[in-house]
Amino acid sequence: MSTNAAKNLFIYGSLLCFVVLVILTVDTMGKLDKRAPEITEQVNAGKKVWHKYDCIGCHTILGNGSYFAPDLTKAVERKPKEYLKKFIMDPRTIKPNSAMPKLGLSEKEADNLIAFLDWMDKVDTNGWPPKPILAGAISGKTASTGQMLFQKNDCSACHQINGIGGTAGPDLTHIGNVRPDVEWHIRHLKDPDTVVPDSAMPSFHHLSDEDLRQIGEYLITLK
Amino acid sequence: MKYQSHQIAHNFYTASVLLFLVQIIVGIVAALQFIWPDFFILNFNTIRTLHINALVVWLLMGMMGATYYVVTEESETELWSIPLGHLQFWATVIAVTAVVVGYIVMGLNPQTNMEVFGTRLLNEGREYIEAPRWADILIVVSVLLFLFNCIMTVFKTKKFTAVQGVLLGGLTFLALMYLPGMFYTKSMVKDQFWWWWVVHLWVEGSWELIAAALLAFMLHKLLGADVKVLAKWMYIETGLVLFTGILGLGHHYYWIGTPKYWLWVGGIFSSLEPIPLLLMVWDAFRTTRETRGVVQNKIGLYLTVAHAIFNFVGAGLWGVIHTLPQVNQWTHGTQITTAHGHLAFYGAYVLLIVAMMYVTLPSIKGVKDFNQSRGFLSFWWMTISMIFIVITITGAGMVQTYLERLLGLDYVTVKASYNLWFWIFRAIFGVGFLVGVLILVTDILTLGKKSVAVE
Ligand code: HEC
Ligand code: HEC
Ligand code: HEM
Ligand code: HEM
Ligand SMILES: [Fe+2]
Repeated sequence: MSTNAAKNLFIYGSLLCFVVLVILTVDTMGKLDKRAPEITEQVNAGKKVWHKYDCIGCHTILGNGSYFAPDLTKAVERKPKEYLKKFIMDPRTIKPNSAMPKLGLSEKEADNLIAFLDWMDKVDTNGWPPKPILAGAISGKTASTGQMLFQKNDCSACHQINGIGGTAGPDLTHIGNVRPDVEWHIRHLKDPDTVVPDSAMPSFHHLSDEDLRQIGEYLITLK
Repeated sequence: MKYQSHQIAHNFYTASVLLFLVQIIVGIVAALQFIWPDFFILNFNTIRTLHINALVVWLLMGMMGATYYVVTEESETELWSIPLGHLQFWATVIAVTAVVVGYIVMGLNPQTNMEVFGTRLLNEGREYIEAPRWADILIVVSVLLFLFNCIMTVFKTKKFTAVQGVLLGGLTFLALMYLPGMFYTKSMVKDQFWWWWVVHLWVEGSWELIAAALLAFMLHKLLGADVKVLAKWMYIETGLVLFTGILGLGHHYYWIGTPKYWLWVGGIFSSLEPIPLLLMVWDAFRTTRETRGVVQNKIGLYLTVAHAIFNFVGAGLWGVIHTLPQVNQWTHGTQITTAHGHLAFYGAYVLLIVAMMYVTLPSIKGVKDFNQSRGFLSFWWMTISMIFIVITITGAGMVQTYLERLLGLDYVTVKASYNLWFWIFRAIFGVGFLVGVLILVTDILTLGKKSVAVE
């Protein structure tokens, strides 16, 4: 190949690729609105809060950003919004050893931000993040009704038992030693605030008394 | 100094290595914050912003210095306007300082990051392009002044060489690709879509053009290799870079809310991206072999070849391992990405700019011979430390991918307990890297000075 031929291939080949990219971009832009809910004023205000506090400097969203903190694309999926709001406004009152500092969001900013995260959750991401395919290998056998209810109500979104589960609330591996009283657990699950002032744990008052008792019985076996 | 204009290149190099030093110091702080989040008065996000912005800016300033040098040498004339060159240098320094002060103020008190004219005053809150809109405009003006000066210089003597063409073409492409990051969109999906135009089309498009041009320039200057042959391969390399790289952009559009066809476009084109990078390695070796002779500037040649190799390993290999959607689905946004980001930037651009400094500084300073041992020493400190950082972080990424993504363990648990030792090792190797940079800075600032030349 002569130098000139190489040069022409470079110039015209690249231009052609760029034109294809522009065409695909136009096509994509036309399709995006159908792949996500409508953007309300509040969602947009929430996005602005996201930028204002540079959340991307620690977190990823849609998998892009910094790798210091969890991805927030599906943050609202497993945790109630009231909890997330409290956490964002003052992480360390809820989780004393949290690596996230208090950034100074106002109540309104936090509400907007949650609306934004709620919008994010509904974006069609082609299935990302995928469900952990090996999760079954470690979840173990379910023994009691209480344990089943623990799983069904996704307590492990916030609590860890034997290293499995989230870290938003305390580790429950030895909760039976710390709080051996079933009645305490029932009261706590019904209305956490009554036993733990200002608790960030969501209330499970919608469960039947029998279910609450079963969970409590299960918890005190964790020693 | 043959040309007065080379003083400008020299100034850019000086500012460049000093910012490199800042980048590494804050990098170590960031690494320590993985172990102790409250290690420093500024939070991790601010430290990280400083780390990656310092990186991008010092590389850009290095490229500008290198280009001022190349243009005068290839055109065999002074710059079109030397005062404009000095002005552009100082304007850049002042703008960069203002932006950095802004980041720190914002880090100390986020409430100062007010909204003005629909954009943020101090920090835009978007990775890599955190610089606020007013700074974006200053950056574009600065780059345009720089390009204008260089292009006018070329037209002065009308020596349209291939290297100048691709170099200035790459820089123009670079300036244009900054624009998609300069407007606000309400949708986070569109936000990230255009954001990747900037980030990806820079490092896997325009910057690679600049790298290919500077590679050809250095091989010619060091070895006296035939310009025609170098130019031909440069065109083939850059042609393939853009053929694979432009549509390779699709590897960032798998999971951000964009249509599924990007899985095909991105998967196919981006897996071909290593080919031109491998070609550059071959190019460097072939040219070195064919023009075997006495090379005076051994460190220059060493760094040039090392750049070609690590460009291929860091960008090509560490990139291609996670570029297919079937893999990326699991590794997206994990420490695997960080491992790749570090080795790619180090191999492709850090070594490129450092090589250019060693290749051109002797002529700039008017010395024939200089003590090269410090150059080698710094190269090995930096390179070995970087290899270990990357091995460490690749390990952290594999653990994270397995435990968090495949088994479903909690993100924070994996980070705080399973990966703790990886963070500790990264910080230690980071200090090794700092040693290399300190040697480099000393050497670049004193190279050719009497006291050193006598040694
Ligand atoms: C300095 C780094 C940093 C910044 C800045 C930061 N975060 Fe965090 N964030 C963290 C870390 C680390 C965690 C992990 C949990 C922990 O250790 O408490 C976290 C956890 C969270 C969680 C809980 C996720 C879950 O699933 O439990 C939410 C929600 C959150 N951050 C939102 C935000 C928002 C919104 C912003 C911007 C306003 C923000 N963060 C800024 C570091 C940061
Ligand atoms: C959104 C997160 C979240 C969810 C979901 C959640 N918890 Fe909690 N939990 C917390 C937080 C935060 C605390 C600490 C405050 C408190 O003690 O009320 C807590 C505390 C507890 C405690 C007391 C631990 C101690 O050491 O004192 C128990 C027991 C408990 N949770 C059980 C449960 C059970 C059972 C479920 C499911 C039915 C559940 N939690 C669901 C967040 C959560
Ligand atoms: C030429 C130099 C290159 C540099 C400097 C570079 C740098 C980077 C950086 C810094 C990121 C992370 C971006 C972020 O912060 O979110 C990244 C992501 C990525 N790069 Fe590269 N890259 C280069 C080339 C390549 C090549 C050639 C490939 C593929 C063959 C590749 C594949 C990828 C992929 C797939 C991601 C996304 C990772 C994820 O999903 O999290 N890169 N690159
Ligand atoms: C020349 C050398 C270096 C280059 C080119 C470089 C480049 C980068 C880039 C591009 C990023 C952002 C993208 C990403 O996370 O992938 C980054 C983040 C980071 N760098 Fe560096 N870096 C260098 C040296 C160092 C050193 C010596 C350290 C300290 C040990 C360090 C620590 C970090 C940390 C902790 C992050 C944040 C990663 C995360 O979010 O998980 N870097 N660096
Ligand atoms: Fe890319």
